[in-house]
Amino acid sequence: MRWVRTTGIALVAALLLTPVGAAAPRAGSIRGRVAVPDVPVTAPRPGVAELSARPHDHVDRRRCVVYLESAPTLAFAELKPGRARMDQRGEQFVPRVLAITAGTIVDFPNNDRVFHNVFSLARTRSFDLGRYAPGRNGSVRFDRPGIIPVFCDIHSHMSAYVLVFSHPFFAVTDDAGRYEIDNVPPGTYTLLVWSELGRATAKKISVTDSGITEADFQVER
Amino acid sequence: MRAMASVRAGVLAAVVLAIAAAASAQDTGPPYESARVAPVSAGVEFAGIFGPPDNTAFFNFTDYGSNALRVARVRLFGEWRPAAPLSFVGEVRIENARAVDLAALYVRWQPFRARPLEFRAGRVPPLLGSFPRRAYGRDNVVLGTPLAYQYVTSLRSDALPATIDDLLRMRGRGWQPSYPIGSPELAPGVPLISIAEWDTGVEASWRQGVFDASLGYTQGAPAVPVVHDRSRGWQWSGRLGATFKSGLAVGTSAALGAWLDDDVALLAAAPGVDARDQAVAGVDVEYGHGPWLTRAEWVYSRFSLPLVEYGGTELRLGAHSGYVEARYRVRPRVDIAMRLERLSFSSVTGSNGVATSWEAPVTRVEVGAGFRVNRHFDLRGGWQHNWRPAGRVHSRGYPVVAVLWWY
Repeated sequence: MRWVRTTGIALVAALLLTPVGAAAPRAGSIRGRVAVPDVPVTAPRPGVAELSARPHDHVDRRRCVVYLESAPTLAFAELKPGRARMDQRGEQFVPRVLAITAGTIVDFPNNDRVFHNVFSLARTRSFDLGRYAPGRNGSVRFDRPGIIPVFCDIHSHMSAYVLVFSHPFFAVTDDAGRYEIDNVPPGTYTLLVWSELGRATAKKISVTDSGITEADFQVER
Repeated sequence: MRAMASVRAGVLAAVVLAIAAAASAQDTGPPYESARVAPVSAGVEFAGIFGPPDNTAFFNFTDYGSNALRVARVRLFGEWRPAAPLSFVGEVRIENARAVDLAALYVRWQPFRARPLEFRAGRVPPLLGSFPRRAYGRDNVVLGTPLAYQYVTSLRSDALPATIDDLLRMRGRGWQPSYPIGSPELAPGVPLISIAEWDTGVEASWRQGVFDASLGYTQGAPAVPVVHDRSRGWQWSGRLGATFKSGLAVGTSAALGAWLDDDVALLAAAPGVDARDQAVAGVDVEYGHGPWLTRAEWVYSRFSLPLVEYGGTELRLGAHSGYVEARYRVRPRVDIAMRLERLSFSSVTGSNGVATSWEAPVTRVEVGAGFRVNRHFDLRGGWQHNWRPAGRVHSRGYPVVAVLWWY
C-alpha cells in the first residue's frame, strides 16, 4: 500500500504537470501490453458468521493503467468531463480499476442482491454515500486528479480504485493486459504504468503523425 | 514556474522508478484470462476495549469470566475451498492473552450450484437473534454487548436453588451466585443467550428471493452452548428472515434446548419430571438508509427448572430483553451511535407472600463516537450507564475507549 501511495503522489504530480510541446493537428496512437506478476486471484475475506453464504466474485488485481506523464496544452483545453460507472456486483466493485478525467461524475449503482455502501477516505476526494439498497444508485463528482481508493463499509473485502487524470491520455488494460491510447498529438512523452501489484519502469516514447507507437511493460513486485 | 513543477514531478517519478528498478525481479505470469485462483482466504481482527476495572458492580461481567468493556481480543479466521461446493471455515479467538479458543470450525457444503441451499456441520454460527453474528469488531455500533447476550443472571446450569427464597437472595448477584443443590463452587450465572461459545452440531440454510430460512440441531441450549453434551438434550433452533429493497431487514428466531446439567437436575426433580429446558424466541429488525443505521432486537427466554420446594416439579422463569440502537455517519470518518436497553424478569412469590421479579431488572444506556483512521483502523470512545435495583451497586457509569483493527 505504501508504494501505491508513493506512486500516487508521483502520478498526481505528473498529472499536474505543465504541457510539453505544442498541439498538433493530427495524432498517433500508443499501444502495447503490460505483463504482471503471477499473483493468484484471491477470494474475499471469509464470512465466518454468514448464513447462506452467497457466491462472491474473486478479487482480480491485475488491471493496470497506462498514462502519459505530461500532455499537450490542447489536451487540457479540450477536456470534456463525462459520466462513468462503477457497479457493485457479486460483492465486488466492477470494474475494480476505473480511470477518468477530472470533473467526471461516477455512478455507483448497486446491482447486487444485498445492501452496499461506498466510501473513500482519500485526501483528494473523501466521501461516504451511506447505505443503499439493490437497484439504487449513488454518484460522486471527482474534480481533482489523484488516486482514490474506494471501499464498502458493509463488506470489508470490497475495494476498488478510481484514478482521476487532468488529461485524456490514459488507458486501462484489458483481459489480455493490452492497452491503447489514441489521438495522441505527435511529440515525445514519458509513459508510466500504475498497478496494484508493483511497479514498471517508465518509458520515453515518440509519437508521430498517424503512427502507432508500441510500448510493452513489465510490472515487478 | 511550469518548468519547476515539471522538474519536481520528474524527480519524484524518477525516485519512484528507481525504487521500482531496485526491487527484485520476478517472472511475469500467464495471460490475465488464465489466472490461478487461490483456494484459501483469511482475515484477522483486533479489538482492544479499555474500560475501567469493575470488581463491585459487575454490570459487564460475562459468562466467560471477563469484563466485556475491558478486553483485548484477537480473531484469526480463514476458509479453505478444496472444491467448488465445499469449504472448511475456522476461527481462532484469543481473549486477554488467555487460552486459545477455537470459536468456529465447520464444513460448509453448497450441493447445488443453482440453488441457494447450504449445509454446515461442526462448530457453527448461532441462528438466534442478529447480534451474535456481528458481535465483534466494527459491526457493533457501540462498544458494549447487549444485555441479552452478556448480562449474567443468577441462574446456574450446575447448581439449583431449593426454594424461591434461595433464588431471590441471589438477585443482582449473577457474577457469583451460589445455591444449596449442585456445585458448591462459586461461578458466574448464565446470560439469556451466550455468545462466548458457538453451537456445535448441524445447520441448513435456504434463500428464496428476499426470504431466508435456517434450521439447526446443536448441543446444549442458547444460554449454555456446549461442545460435549452434559445434559440429556440437543437444541433445535431456527430462523426466518427477509431483506427488502427499501433497506428494511427483519428476522424472527427461536430455540429450544436443555440448559441444566444432568447431574444437578436429577438431584432436584421428582420422578418423571423433566424440567431443564430453555425456550427462546426473538425478533430483530434493521433499517439502513444513507448515513443512518438503526437496529432493534427483542428476546424472550423461559428457563425451566425443578424446585425442591415444589416437590421437584417444574418452575418456569421468564425474561425479556430488548434494545434499540442507531448510528449516524456525520462525516466519512466520523460517526456517532447510541443504544438503549432493558432486561426484565417474570415475578415469583417468596415466603413473605410478596411477588417480585426473580432477578433484578437492568436498564442500560450507551453512547459512543467513532473515528475511522483508515479503512482498517477505527478509534472509538463512549460512555455506558447502568441501573439495577438490587445487588451491591444500583447504578454505575463506565467511560470506555477502544482500538479496532482488522484486515
